[in-house]
Amino acid sequence: MCKIGVEMEGEKQPLLAMRGITKSFGGLRAVTDVDLTLHEGQILAIVGDNGAGKSTLIKILTGVYQPDAGEIFICGAKVEMSSRRDSIRVGVNAVYQNLGLVDALPAPANVFLGNEPVRRILGIPFLDNRRMREETERILIENTGVKLEDATVPTLNLSGGQRQAVAIARAVLVADLKVLVMDEPTAALGPEETRNTLALIRAVRDRGIAVIVISHNLEHVFAVADRVMVMRGGRKIGEVDTATSSGTEVLGMIVGSAVGAGAHATTPSTLGAQQ
Amino acid sequence: MTDQHITTPETSRMTRLPALRRYVNLLGPMIMVIVLCIIMAFAEPRFFNVPNLMIILHDAAIFMVLGTAMTLVITARGIDLSIGAVAALSAIVMAMLIKDYGVNVYLAMAASVVVGLLCGFVNSVIITRLHVPDLLATLAMDQIYRGIALVLAAGAVLARFPEPIPFIGRGRVLGGIPVSAVVGLVALAVGVVLYRSTHIGRYAAAIGGNREAALLSGINVRRHKTLQYVIMGGAAAIAGILLTGRLNAVQATVGQGLALHTIAAVVVGGTVLFGGRGTMLGTLVGVLLLSMVTNALVILRFQFFWQLVASGIVIIASIGFYSYMNRSGDDDGKDET
Repeated sequence: MCKIGVEMEGEKQPLLAMRGITKSFGGLRAVTDVDLTLHEGQILAIVGDNGAGKSTLIKILTGVYQPDAGEIFICGAKVEMSSRRDSIRVGVNAVYQNLGLVDALPAPANVFLGNEPVRRILGIPFLDNRRMREETERILIENTGVKLEDATVPTLNLSGGQRQAVAIARAVLVADLKVLVMDEPTAALGPEETRNTLALIRAVRDRGIAVIVISHNLEHVFAVADRVMVMRGGRKIGEVDTATSSGTEVLGMIVGSAVGAGAHATTPSTLGAQQ
Repeated sequence: MTDQHITTPETSRMTRLPALRRYVNLLGPMIMVIVLCIIMAFAEPRFFNVPNLMIILHDAAIFMVLGTAMTLVITARGIDLSIGAVAALSAIVMAMLIKDYGVNVYLAMAASVVVGLLCGFVNSVIITRLHVPDLLATLAMDQIYRGIALVLAAGAVLARFPEPIPFIGRGRVLGGIPVSAVVGLVALAVGVVLYRSTHIGRYAAAIGGNREAALLSGINVRRHKTLQYVIMGGAAAIAGILLTGRLNAVQATVGQGLALHTIAAVVVGGTVLFGGRGTMLGTLVGVLLLSMVTNALVILRFQFFWQLVASGIVIIASIGFYSYMNRSGDDDGKDET
């Protein structure tokens, strides 16, 4: 992914590194001194209670907010981002919880929205609808393994998993995408759709794209992520390997209680309701 | 991994249905057209005489022009109540240029279109810069344009214009086809292309369907809102020329009720008033249906006032049918996300 493998202290250079990120809104510290490292082909989950600072951190990474302090490196190069456009330019894109799809438009129109290929006839730019349809079908198969039976139906009429795939296809369309951020990808999905969506995330990862997943659902996090980063009160509390950790341990970190918190504390599925 | 095809049983059912459902909103008006034709076949077969059908087309022509642009505006979740006054103002300017200032007729027609485009631009500025809601902005501007037209014309009726104005308004070509209908159908054809194959149509749907997504996609929402209203203003000016030519006369009070009739036709045709979904074909059906109902009542010698009642019933029936079909559609297992 990164052009030249500059070795950093014998370690492979991370695709993405955030260092000392801090952001306040008025008097409220939303994020304090957070570090984040992400390597190629990794899936990192960020978990934490409501108000833990996950969303703010992600919005900084996608150029929506600018940090008060801290630096962001992509492939070792420092980047400054002042808009989503900037983040897309450096290879970071996001799929938000509501997917950002126009329900009334079919998949190809959504995938290419704002970026439509045109054919000029007498100098007038006409949308190349056929190319959009063919490219969309190709991108969907290559990146998500999803095949649409009919690419002309409004996305409203697609299943939750297919809609997710369209949103991912749209994000992946960015030239040289390096990091894909997914905000609550499994919220409001049934079991079948959840399984499909987790498969989509792995399919994206298999393309060598690093994925950051924001989630409340620890079961899903452990099913898909390589590492879990826990946030609380705007700070990074810790980071664990899913292979060597457990939901109980992570849950204890999230709610801030001592070891054994899992015995009496909330279950993962009710976590969202707890403040 | 990459061969995993996500097609649950629910999915396949949902993807096949919409192919039909895409035209379902046309079903209501289509049924009404058919019912009307059956009734007229018994009540007054002369309804189907070619000259009468041409009268219907002639009557519908203005609303084809206006409906085309209004479909675009409504698809983007806008609305324009000022088009009647814009038509009047632009027609009055054209008429005065010809009658009072001796300006060449083609130049005057071009000037009237420019006035229409300008009015649309002013509307869009008020909506996108002053953030006045579309409905209220154009309601207010309707008063302003009408007022200006009344002041300019000072109560005069301007009449007897040089060709091609009467020709456009009431001429016939190819053995009886109204020129106005040709203008209307050309406008609709341009609208279909605009809608399906240009950024203008695509972004109207995006802005109306999910403004947030449109903004995040880098679409210049303000510019496209402006474009839509400017096109609407231009269409209103063309309607003004058609109206002027129809009677070969114009006064500042012309075109009242144009906006509501146009909006009704567009909505009857299945374009959703809350944005995102528009259909030019539906607008054609909606325009024709309303004109057919009016015409049927005229030949059946009903009082004029019954036309209003009938139009209202048609509007409610279409939208009621559409809502019913959509509700039954939502019930079969689609998760709202």
